[in-house]
Amino acid sequence: MSKRILVIEDQEDNRRIMRDLLTSAGYEIIEALTAEEGVSAAEAQRPALILMDIQLPDFDGYEATRRIKANPALSAIPIIAVTSYALSGDDVKAYEAGCNAYVSKPFSPRALLAKIREFIT
Amino acid sequence: VQLSQTDAGTIYEFDEAEKVFVPRINFGVPEAYVEALRESRMRVGDRTVIGQAAIKRAPHQIRDLSDVPDYPLPYVQQAGYRALLALPLLREDRLIGGLVVRRKMAGEFPAPVVELLQTFAAQSVLAIHNARLFREIEDKGRELSVANKHKSEFLANMSHELRTPLNAILGYTELILDNIYGDVPEKIRDVLERLEQNGRHLLGLINDVLDLSKIEAGQLTLSLNEYSMAEVIQTVFTSVESLAAEKNLDLKVEISKDHMTGRGDGQRLAQVILNLVGNAIKFTDEGGVKVEASVSDETFFISVSDTGTGLPEADQQKVFEEFYQVDGSSTRKKGGTGLGLSISKKIIEMHGGRIWVESTPGKGSTFRFTVPVRVDRPRKQA
Repeated sequence: MSKRILVIEDQEDNRRIMRDLLTSAGYEIIEALTAEEGVSAAEAQRPALILMDIQLPDFDGYEATRRIKANPALSAIPIIAVTSYALSGDDVKAYEAGCNAYVSKPFSPRALLAKIREFIT
Repeated sequence: VQLSQTDAGTIYEFDEAEKVFVPRINFGVPEAYVEALRESRMRVGDRTVIGQAAIKRAPHQIRDLSDVPDYPLPYVQQAGYRALLALPLLREDRLIGGLVVRRKMAGEFPAPVVELLQTFAAQSVLAIHNARLFREIEDKGRELSVANKHKSEFLANMSHELRTPLNAILGYTELILDNIYGDVPEKIRDVLERLEQNGRHLLGLINDVLDLSKIEAGQLTLSLNEYSMAEVIQTVFTSVESLAAEKNLDLKVEISKDHMTGRGDGQRLAQVILNLVGNAIKFTDEGGVKVEASVSDETFFISVSDTGTGLPEADQQKVFEEFYQVDGSSTRKKGGTGLGLSISKKIIEMHGGRIWVESTPGKGSTFRFTVPVRVDRPRKQA
């Protein structure tokens, strides 16, 4: 069974790049366009890993991370924050919110894949 | 008032917008009287003593208010004043105010008194003019700082917007190059690699503009963490190795100690070193580039030397200024925004360090900077 990755990202091109990259690497993808959808998808689908965009339309990725990590059934799921370069100090905020790693935008698909493989095979 | 042997005096400023005289400085009159003067809204050509002086553009006096039963300001006489003298304040033929003295004794003001007040009026003209200039400068300063803030915010937003589509372009390009969408023929691969290089170059330029606008808007903050200077330099080395190899340049790193742990913004320091090494490679066609790092007195000493074109003495300070590029067709051809060094300088200064260059034209340049090993609080930007 292939491992499932939940991608929480509102921007279509970023989502497609992640989808194309990850499906070709053998992962199954679940996509969420808002933080709310992302949190529900995490609860319903129990993915092996979550890629979390920070600037989302409803509430931000830090808050979504806190909600997911607060649920004991989900807290073990590794979350990689995909932060924007425009706001420095994002790495610190990501770790404080409970993210396990962060990748800053613009992310290189290659580097993102390497980061994911640090957590799941 | 004393010298002119009068009882009270007021200097008015003429408000151009409202076309009325506004009392500014008063002698010998109670606050309520000043308030009444302000509310009277005296105008050029009205029947007040100042209104008459203004229209005549010459001193005007009223010897005895008792002879002028319909004087427009009844409170003047009620306050006990009988004789009034007004002088217009003119600067280069423009009315900028007025001067009025009041006396409780009726009678003509003697010529020496009028002359004395004329001298005084000339001084007042200067004072009012200076005060106006000062206010204007203050207003302009405020307007400028608001406009400047808008500009910085615009740049920050704009560069963010520019980066989003560029990220998509770079992301897809990398996926295609990694054969995600099928095998890529060699000919197309070559073009795609150029596409990627150009995209990265553009991204670098946009990042420079974004950094600078953040610095200007006071939004650039250091993310203070433990870092290893040796690792920072190694990261830079890895990312420029191929650039140096392409130009057949010898790229060397000399680090005095293996473990150089510091506290500061390692990523920003890597950005500075990358900028210095990138410039060195860009402006060197033969020879090599050397990065040296040492530590003493709780300070890191970093230098990047090259055997390139070098910098004339006149340019050695200026290269750290925003948008400055050493003139000459050869340097312009190399591209760049002219922002890299000014951003580097800001980053180093925020760490409490110093950056400078030593150079002999034709022989090469050495850029040096120092940063404290431990930075616990970023310096305020100048």
